[in-house]
Amino acid sequence: MKRERYRSGPFVWLAIIAATCLLLFLFQKILWLVVPFLLALIGYYLLYPVQQRLVLGGMSRDSSAVLVSCGAFAVAGGIIVLAFPWVSAHLVSWQDSAARYIAGGLRFIAETLAWAESNYSFAARANLSDQLTRKIGELGDKFAGTYLASAAMTAAAWFPSLLLAPFLAFFFLRDGWRFKMFLSRAVPNAFFERTLYLLDQVDYTARLYFQGLIKLTVLDALCLACGLWLIGVSAPFVLGLATAVLAWVPYVGSILGCLLVVLVAATDFPGDPAMAYAAIGLFIWVRLLDDFFFMPITIGRSLKLHPLLTVVMIFVGGAVAGVAGLMLVLPLLGIVMVLGETVGEIVTDPRLRARHVFAKRLRQRQVTRDLQA
Amino acid sequence: MPNFFASNQPQAFHELRKLSLFVDLNPREMKIVNGFMHQRRYLKDEVVFDAGEEGQAIYFILEGKVLVCPQGQSEKPIAVLEQGNFFGELALLDGDPRGAQVRAAENATLAVFFRGDFLGLMQSHALIASKIALQLARHLGLRLRGVALDKPAPL
Repeated sequence: MKRERYRSGPFVWLAIIAATCLLLFLFQKILWLVVPFLLALIGYYLLYPVQQRLVLGGMSRDSSAVLVSCGAFAVAGGIIVLAFPWVSAHLVSWQDSAARYIAGGLRFIAETLAWAESNYSFAARANLSDQLTRKIGELGDKFAGTYLASAAMTAAAWFPSLLLAPFLAFFFLRDGWRFKMFLSRAVPNAFFERTLYLLDQVDYTARLYFQGLIKLTVLDALCLACGLWLIGVSAPFVLGLATAVLAWVPYVGSILGCLLVVLVAATDFPGDPAMAYAAIGLFIWVRLLDDFFFMPITIGRSLKLHPLLTVVMIFVGGAVAGVAGLMLVLPLLGIVMVLGETVGEIVTDPRLRARHVFAKRLRQRQVTRDLQA
Repeated sequence: MPNFFASNQPQAFHELRKLSLFVDLNPREMKIVNGFMHQRRYLKDEVVFDAGEEGQAIYFILEGKVLVCPQGQSEKPIAVLEQGNFFGELALLDGDPRGAQVRAAENATLAVFFRGDFLGLMQSHALIASKIALQLARHLGLRLRGVALDKPAPL
């Protein structure tokens, strides 16, 4: 007899979405732990294939985890040590370039507003150009006092927790499989096979999500870099990669990425606002591709989510937990979905529950055999 | 400090090495496979799995006996399997429903090898997986031949 495959109903789905929102709200409160945990997961899924190769070559899991982690630490440390003199040497020129690009961007905005004021009476009456110049002047005066100190404090508070990420990644590599065994030992025999399947699916979902994220970054970076190269903006591939990484934070990251592209385009072509508009148009086109095409077919597909649900949940994540919610909502939904569906499958299976009750009765009978009068 | 993540007992490792499915594996390969094994204890009469249930794992008997029977008819067993036997092997190949019910005939300790781990093994340790798959094919061939000749075949 073949049982019909379980499908989650509307109540299970409501519970999944509610649990995701609740977790997002809680995670927002312990973001200092959630962010290093996520970075550690990315590191784990990047290093895991290398560790598997070493195990295949005859090394034990513990030794291979130590070797791979030490290797990754050495590579990261080496890059920092080697890059330090180069970064120090170029720091001043980068500062100049940044100032030049910011000035170029501001000039572009001021010119655009001046053009609007000269052509449209409502814009002239609003006097936006003067207001913008005054606001920027005020921001420049207050920036160091108001924002710099708090930004420095935030960075100092985050730094120790970010140091957790490599250590977490190391323990995921070394003890991840033991932890899985440890969890499975707590599961009653009746639910054991289903639970093994659940743990496997959670791991599979997380792996596909992070692989999807890397694919999405590559697709975004390539599309934008090709477009920028075609319209003649400088350093198209660096810009494409930077904006694709910024896009890991949906919407907010996209706005920052757009600003970056406009700053560079406006500075590269100071007398030609059409180039900046072309860069904005290109950016919007790539973002639309990303949000409605690339994301559903990479991350959305890896999580087996409907594209509409993917887009709606991104908005829900943003509303519940802000920027953190935007970043966390999809991986969290994927994991809660697998957990919810499996728990739903077990809870709604009377046979499994009956077997569990029967096993408990057998155990009770065995331990009380010599206690009966 | 207690080790929360202690691995399987060495006794189970020696029992597993004797199984026909793992006969081609060298000690190092066997150690890798043993890392994927889950140990479970079942009381007499406890159900290991039901007929019709989606198969996700193969079971190895480390201690005790199990009954293979039609669903709910433990008084009419198809086979009694003892220490050193395995069952549910088709689950490694597909997720099709189990063909019969299996219950513990006496208190039993079983090692469980999950299909997801076997599929992972095929990607990460192709040589080990191919050795196991070859033995599995031989085992299924023997059973098929037994059915064709209408004589009892080892399960």
